Amino acid sequence: MRISTSILYDTGVGSMNRQQVELLKTQQQLASGKRILTAGDDPIAAGRTIEVRHAQSANQQYAGNRQQAMSRLALAEMALGNLGNLIQNVKVLAAGAANPAMSDRDRASLAVELRSQLEELVGLANMRDEGGHFMFGGNRVNGQPFAPTSAGVVYAGDQGTRLIQVSDSRQIAVGVPGSELFERIRDGNGTFSARADSANAGSGVISAGSVVDAAALTGATYAITFNVSGSTITYDVTDTTSGTPVSTGNAYMSGNAILVAGMRVEVSGEPADGDTFTLAPSRSHSLFATIEELMQRLGDSTAGVAGGPRLMNGINTAMQNLDQALDHVLAARAALGGRLKELDALHATGETIDAQYQQTLSQLEDVDYAQAISRLTQQQLYLEAAQRSFMRVSGLTLFNYL
Amino acid sequence: MSSGLFGIGVSGLYAAQLGIATTGHNISNASTPGYSRQEVLQATAPSMATGAGFLGRGVQVETVRRVYNEFLVNQVQVARAQAAELEAHHAQAHRVDAILSGDTAGLAFALQDFFGAVHGLAANPASTAVRDQLLMGADALAARFHMLDQRLADEAASVNRQISGSIDVINSYAQQIARLNGAIATAQGAAGGSPPNDLLDQREALLSDLNREIGATYVIQSDGSYNIFISTGHPLVVGEEAYGLKAVTSPVNPERLEVAYAANGATLPLWGATLSGGRLGGLLAFRTEALDSARNALGQTAVVLAGTVNAQHRLGLDARGAWGGDLFTIGAPLVHASTLNAGNAVVAGSFSGDYAAVTASDYRLRFDGSAYTLTRLGDGAEWNFTGFPQTIDGVRLELASGAMQAGDTFQVKPVALGARTIASAISDPARIAAAAPVVSAAALTNMGSGRISAGSVEGPPPVHPDVLVPVTITFTSGGTFNVTRTDNGTPIATGVSYTAGEPMRYNGWTVQITGQPVAGDTFTVTRSDGTGDNRNALLLAQLQGANTVGGSTSYQSSYAQLVSRVGGKANQLSVTARAHANLEAQAVRAQQSVSGVNLDEEAARLLRYQQAYHASGKVIQVAATLFDTLLGMIG
Repeated sequence: MRISTSILYDTGVGSMNRQQVELLKTQQQLASGKRILTAGDDPIAAGRTIEVRHAQSANQQYAGNRQQAMSRLALAEMALGNLGNLIQNVKVLAAGAANPAMSDRDRASLAVELRSQLEELVGLANMRDEGGHFMFGGNRVNGQPFAPTSAGVVYAGDQGTRLIQVSDSRQIAVGVPGSELFERIRDGNGTFSARADSANAGSGVISAGSVVDAAALTGATYAITFNVSGSTITYDVTDTTSGTPVSTGNAYMSGNAILVAGMRVEVSGEPADGDTFTLAPSRSHSLFATIEELMQRLGDSTAGVAGGPRLMNGINTAMQNLDQALDHVLAARAALGGRLKELDALHATGETIDAQYQQTLSQLEDVDYAQAISRLTQQQLYLEAAQRSFMRVSGLTLFNYL
Repeated sequence: MSSGLFGIGVSGLYAAQLGIATTGHNISNASTPGYSRQEVLQATAPSMATGAGFLGRGVQVETVRRVYNEFLVNQVQVARAQAAELEAHHAQAHRVDAILSGDTAGLAFALQDFFGAVHGLAANPASTAVRDQLLMGADALAARFHMLDQRLADEAASVNRQISGSIDVINSYAQQIARLNGAIATAQGAAGGSPPNDLLDQREALLSDLNREIGATYVIQSDGSYNIFISTGHPLVVGEEAYGLKAVTSPVNPERLEVAYAANGATLPLWGATLSGGRLGGLLAFRTEALDSARNALGQTAVVLAGTVNAQHRLGLDARGAWGGDLFTIGAPLVHASTLNAGNAVVAGSFSGDYAAVTASDYRLRFDGSAYTLTRLGDGAEWNFTGFPQTIDGVRLELASGAMQAGDTFQVKPVALGARTIASAISDPARIAAAAPVVSAAALTNMGSGRISAGSVEGPPPVHPDVLVPVTITFTSGGTFNVTRTDNGTPIATGVSYTAGEPMRYNGWTVQITGQPVAGDTFTVTRSDGTGDNRNALLLAQLQGANTVGGSTSYQSSYAQLVSRVGGKANQLSVTARAHANLEAQAVRAQQSVSGVNLDEEAARLLRYQQAYHASGKVIQVAATLFDTLLGMIG
């Protein structure tokens, strides 16, 4: 075959050109650390890279969200801890007030102490987060949620709870609305509340009571009304919801159990004629109201036959409500703790996933240095060979001998 | 006798001289493009009949011919047209590939930043700083769409310029070839049929250059002139007549140059036809196969992003308690009436709100006098209808004004403006709607264990007109409830039976009540004024992973698909372009092995002719000596 001289040159230059392109590409890969310089180098891996990087970035976003959630939950948990202590303190004060040796004046000073506890409670309920937003106003974070008024402390927030996206499939509540924490607390023993009528003239004191037969509960309110004729004390039980008498003329003995529709209470002392005790289904009773009522009871005079028992009944009611509040706060705190624990678990998973994404990304787009360097050396060799051989071949011409 | 010898010697000298001249010509043109080496064809001069037989009279030069193989030349031209087309296509596709796949320059990071800011808003909806961050994220995302679209638009403008440039070059080659056709015919006649080798070479070189610009075939005429045709069958050169191509603005798209065929003062559009081969073919293929689809895919992502984010944003309340507006503005579908239309109809397009149905394709609307046909150019799907408005693929088309006449066409480009026009519609951070419009509450006096979910509104906008009306759900027993307006007591529903966890849908919102409520328990659903409410922000954030684009992919994945597709195209073209470059090189080598100049060969020939010249000189010397001898005998 004939070889034309220009082809000799073109071919030589062309092959050197190709080698240089390859060499440059390897050099760029080494310099950038990336195997894929443009999507054209590996279209499928390039597309995957974008998706994996997106998933990784979303995962990192969730990690940031989890941090936010944790710090909010930790703040709320601390507030709930303080709240628990405050309720304990109030309980101690209430127990102290029940001491019969105390004078009315001593109790009045306890009431002053209670007032400062109440103020502290209002302060706690109006706590702000690091951004200056109220923590217990539900979603109304800019207005003060709890305002003391003549009618007691009034809630101005809503019942919303902020959720934070902490993984692609999980949203977690990062707070408790004030209404749920401070107000939706069942009074009495949690099922029903036993109260003495404030107009009672006798010395009857009613216990907190308990449920003996849950199936017999009706949800109606019952009144226990005492009748005293001479030395005989009897009582009638009336369903005040429907206005029908349940039983009449039951013999009374101080401290004996009275059973009404699955509920059991004990009345001790000597009720006067017409004294009434009510058994009502538990309803929500705010912690503020409980403390305000206790303050009121402590301010009442204990003079007369009914004074002491009225105080005792008042303190009993308050103690029951405080116990309920404490249980409520502990449950809320346990829920927060549970969420914090879940966040820890999610965090660990998130980090593992992040590492996996990182590894996938690295496999997809990072250059294998050992391989790339050996390729670079190889291509360098090829280029040198092409250059040298071109010099040799192009130097051969018959004109050298003419 | 010796005069015959003189004659023979001179004829040898003359032939050797011509040989040396031709060899010199070959040597000096060794690197002239398109040059075919020439050789002297010599033959014995007619001999003279004598009594002793035929006596030789020396040599004579028949002609100087070029060494040439038509088949090989043709192969080079075909290979060259294909290689040039693929090279142009690949070079352009590679540029788009580099634009889209940049790590930080692409869309992926801006999308991540935007949704990061939405998550930030969800975590801290009351913070003005966080709201500012979201607005900046939205601006940055819009700016990134603009930047990418601008760079693709620059490519389109560059393609337009290259098309014009290529057409100019093609026309100039066509004219030169036509002139050469004339010159060759004249020269051939003047030389008594001897081929004008260098002119032929020039014409072939021009044809070869023409094939770099556009695929062209030729037919040899009896007078030796070439008639040249492009791939659509239109003649570019007929004899000494050259016709031209023309770059004209597309009748349905003022930003686009199309190729037309210009002959005898008339212009014949060539769009839709397959102009293949050469740089022009590559540019046109790049524009339809890669650039248009990349721009539309980017536009589709922008349109769907703006549409779906807006729809969710409109379902929320902002920091002032007002309904959220659009978070992004976006250009409406583009409808271009063809400049060739006889009617004066103006067709307007708008998005119907079904963004999942919006495709990345362009459409052609045509009126045949009684019915309209809308063709989706991406896959050829057709819709026939007889009146407006029509909603097809998430785009609502209506006749805004005027009337159509039979044969009128319109080009509908739903997403063409998407990436160019997307912009943040909000500058006041308080206007970001992070809150859900309704909030639910369970009355504190409730005796039962019923709990109510936070409540949500049903999209898409517009929402139910009464959605913000306060509503009370009152249980009349453990199993039934009434729904009434809280403000005026108007009943909405009465005696509805209760199933725990069943969604309750009234006035455009949905809540669920779980647990066991008892008679007298109430629940309320009221307008939210919660500045700390993040529920709409959470829903916005969830759009990030939702299958919104085409109803089957997320924003990110649709972009990833675009990058992958463009990269795949670049990759495939790089392979085929290299293969065709090799084919071209092989064809050139084959052709050059016949027609190319080999300097060693020419050097040897130079020696041969030099020696022949010497030898012929000797013959003349001998003839002179003979003559002297004769004179001496006389003297």
